[in-house]
Amino acid sequence: MNVRSIAPRIRALFRRQRLERDLDEELAFHLAMREADYRSGGAAPADARHAARRRFGNVTYLKEQCRDMWTFHPLETLSQDIRYALRTLRRSPGFTLVAIFALAVGIGSNTAIFSMLDAARTRALPYRDPGQLVQLWGNVQRARVERRGTSYPDFRDWRTRARSFDDMAAFASQLLTLNDGDEPERISSESVSAPYFALLGVQPARGRTFSAAEDDVARPTLVAVMSDGLWKRRFGSDPGIVGRSVRLNTRSYTVIGVMPPGFNGLSDTAELWLPFAVYAPPASMAERGNRGFAVLARLRPGVTIDAAQRELDGISKQLEAEHPDTNEKRAVEVSPLDVELVGSLRPALQTLMAAVAFVLLIACANVANLLLARSEARRREIAVRTALGAGRARLLRQLITEGCVLTAIGAVAGLVMARAAVAALIAQSPVTFPSFVTPGLDVRVAAFTILVSIACGVLVGIVPGLQARAVDLTDSLKDSARGSDGPRSQRMRSSLVVAELSLAVVLLIGAGLMIRSVRNLAALNPGFDPSSVLTLHISIPRATPPDANPPASAAGAPPPPVVYGRALLERLRSVPGVAAAALGTDVPLDGNAGAVFYSADGQPPANAQNAPRAYVHRVSPEFFDTLRIPFVHGRTFADAEAVASSAVAIVSARLTARFWPGQDPVGKRIKFGGLASNNPWLSIVGVVGEVKYRGLPDNPTADPDIYLPFADRNQQVALAVRANVPPSSLVAPLRAAIRGADPSIPIYAVAPMDELIAGQTAQSRFTMWLMGVFAAAALMLAVVGIYGVMAYLVTQRTREIGIRLALGAAAPDILRLVVGNGAKLVAGGVAIGVAAAFALQRLISSLLFGVTAADTASAIAVAVLAGVALLACYVPAIRATRVSPLRALRYE
Amino acid sequence: MGDTRAKAPPGELMPGTLDMLILKTLSRGAMHGYSIAQFIQQASRDVLRVEEGALYPALHRLEVRGLLKAEWGTSDNNRRAKFYTLTAVGRRELDEEAAYWDRVAAAVTRVMQTA
Repeated sequence: MNVRSIAPRIRALFRRQRLERDLDEELAFHLAMREADYRSGGAAPADARHAARRRFGNVTYLKEQCRDMWTFHPLETLSQDIRYALRTLRRSPGFTLVAIFALAVGIGSNTAIFSMLDAARTRALPYRDPGQLVQLWGNVQRARVERRGTSYPDFRDWRTRARSFDDMAAFASQLLTLNDGDEPERISSESVSAPYFALLGVQPARGRTFSAAEDDVARPTLVAVMSDGLWKRRFGSDPGIVGRSVRLNTRSYTVIGVMPPGFNGLSDTAELWLPFAVYAPPASMAERGNRGFAVLARLRPGVTIDAAQRELDGISKQLEAEHPDTNEKRAVEVSPLDVELVGSLRPALQTLMAAVAFVLLIACANVANLLLARSEARRREIAVRTALGAGRARLLRQLITEGCVLTAIGAVAGLVMARAAVAALIAQSPVTFPSFVTPGLDVRVAAFTILVSIACGVLVGIVPGLQARAVDLTDSLKDSARGSDGPRSQRMRSSLVVAELSLAVVLLIGAGLMIRSVRNLAALNPGFDPSSVLTLHISIPRATPPDANPPASAAGAPPPPVVYGRALLERLRSVPGVAAAALGTDVPLDGNAGAVFYSADGQPPANAQNAPRAYVHRVSPEFFDTLRIPFVHGRTFADAEAVASSAVAIVSARLTARFWPGQDPVGKRIKFGGLASNNPWLSIVGVVGEVKYRGLPDNPTADPDIYLPFADRNQQVALAVRANVPPSSLVAPLRAAIRGADPSIPIYAVAPMDELIAGQTAQSRFTMWLMGVFAAAALMLAVVGIYGVMAYLVTQRTREIGIRLALGAAAPDILRLVVGNGAKLVAGGVAIGVAAAFALQRLISSLLFGVTAADTASAIAVAVLAGVALLACYVPAIRATRVSPLRALRYE
Repeated sequence: MGDTRAKAPPGELMPGTLDMLILKTLSRGAMHGYSIAQFIQQASRDVLRVEEGALYPALHRLEVRGLLKAEWGTSDNNRRAKFYTLTAVGRRELDEEAAYWDRVAAAVTRVMQTA
């Protein structure tokens, strides 16, 4: 066929009727003209018509020939096949419904997970050209490479020396108190260098962002940019907001711009942006060793991450040579932004993607099996069609079309399911999805679904198709009575069931492992007792001299007299339901701890790799009691020691084990900084157990903790309250108690400790939950599969069973026969599945905690599957025993 | 589906010749099927009397291949008729076929005269 003629032929498909009319009219015109010609030559009307027709030839045949010119045969046959498939499917609604349901579950779950995975891809980041964005982290080579952030002088040097980047911006997030309006509020903010917004490619909706002058760290300018949300929420969308001043912490800032809706910075929570210059006082910004923030950078076009990494490695070497005291063994890590923002979601989603692929395979095997069984029933039909001249390719195409029609319907149903499921998944998910991850049914997801359904259609069609090849014509045509089953298709069916069962075993073991992991995580001893503990954070206003104006009258006036931490604690203890209360600079898992270097009395001199480092917490004496952190040695702070100036410390056991193993550590001395520093020696008065302070299942680094007496000059205060009532019921009375003491104290980050712990295990719980759902779906489908096959087998063998019964076989024999048959399949599926699970567990090891496939969880999973599968065999087996020998012999 | 060119029109015409004759006829301007048949017959002084119906599969084939364009119009006696015109592609095809025909015809004539 001429290639050029395909397009008009396809177009012709859609205007068949018009073409037909045109053809009729065209030929009629010709005949009429010829007839008129003859008549003008003097012929009688009837003779003229006949002569014209004779001269024209066979009209029907010629029309057929003309039509042929316009026909596109492949499509013509396809639409024929589809109509035929729909007719066949309508004829057996039970089969069709089961198949469509199985496919809808399979395709729907694949679409749902794929759309989530797709939404977490690099291109989904709501920034300009996000593939070129990276974060730069300062790091240090200790026991392993540790991320540390960077200092302002280092950042400045990277920015001036590196050639791999278009630009760089320092950024750090922190909480600020917004003192504007009635109630002070803690607001999440980001301090950013001026190029930050341009790097992300985000323009302000009103006003402007920071200028180069406002980026000057030596001369901080008090300006601020706010989010659309904050502008609407706190400032009623005030059109005159630009130029207005707002009071943040204790200083007034001029608002210079508002960002567009939906933009909340890299932290995804920021509502305010301040110039990086106000992040810290100029003096501490100038310290090269004062590290703590990350840097956003955009790679120059064509520069790879590796190239950028190599260049920064070189610059780190230069800086190490120039500033050996602060930059020894310091390097930079270049990390793609998408890995930073959504990378943590990917392992779970990828595991789930594999799980749903398994579910889909099982669904396909099921449908293929059903089609296979039906193709047995349709053997005669197929044989007749073959006898009438249908080629094998044509038959195969017919069967594949049937499969594709089934999967197409399944896909539509699956898409509807996926749409509902994804929204519910994200809403219920214990994992927080970044706000820009909004899975939807876009072109890519639709294309994925279509590809998957076509693949499935071919897969389910080809199985019975291969079977049809083996049809023996004469036999099938003759053989109308005994619908016996060839050993070949029996084998095919059995292997499909074994495959289904083994896939289900893998999923069940996977789900079992996730469940065990989550249990292990939950049972993990965090080093303190998190139950019935409520944590809250307050920001105690700085004590300022009394102002001449009363606070209510003047906006931005200094807050009223301050209630100090200790006094506040007394008030909290008097709230009914409070068993104990303590305060500190931070509480476990709230993410506020900071690390410092220290030295121990008598230790050998240290370098950058082994300089001892510890996390410091200032706490009130009741802290250990309230959180039930056990003492290994010594005691808590005495009341007299509970002042900032006292030279005492409580340390965690790992610290004393490092420097004074086997000795009584009480009375030993440590100090902050190097041995030669001027910091005072601190005497150890107590040693407590290690606390999982910074993460579960373990702290990110093995550094110990140092507890110092709480100082009333600390402004950011974390409160831990142990309740003898449900902790969440204490939120309102505690708030009231704090407000009663000082209404200007903002209260934020209120959370039961259990919730902080749950946050640490969210990823595992998310995966566990979905794995469980998918494994259940897989189990169900596999059980339906084995049931179908066993039921079919019993029907096929009704005659044989009847003969056996007639010859004296007892019901238990028959039972054993049928169930034994099924048991073989189950055993095969379990064996393959377990082997596969062992091979695959490595792939999800990052999601597992303290379990392997050789676990009781796996044994339970396998037992559940085997039990249910055998039960599925048992039902048809029972039916087989009820076969009446007489009826069976007459069967068919 | 094989190329429909293989199904040459019946009659005295050599396979493929009908297409060329149609193209040549239409190089004079738009015509409907009946007048194409008339023209071929008259121009060949009644030597080439194609079975008239065979014209139409050929016309449709040429239209599908894009060598002809068809439009409905009004005939001399005021009836609706389908008029065919040559497209640019059709004109090129005609040139090629005509050149080929000239060469073949000359060769056949030479052989017939020499032998």
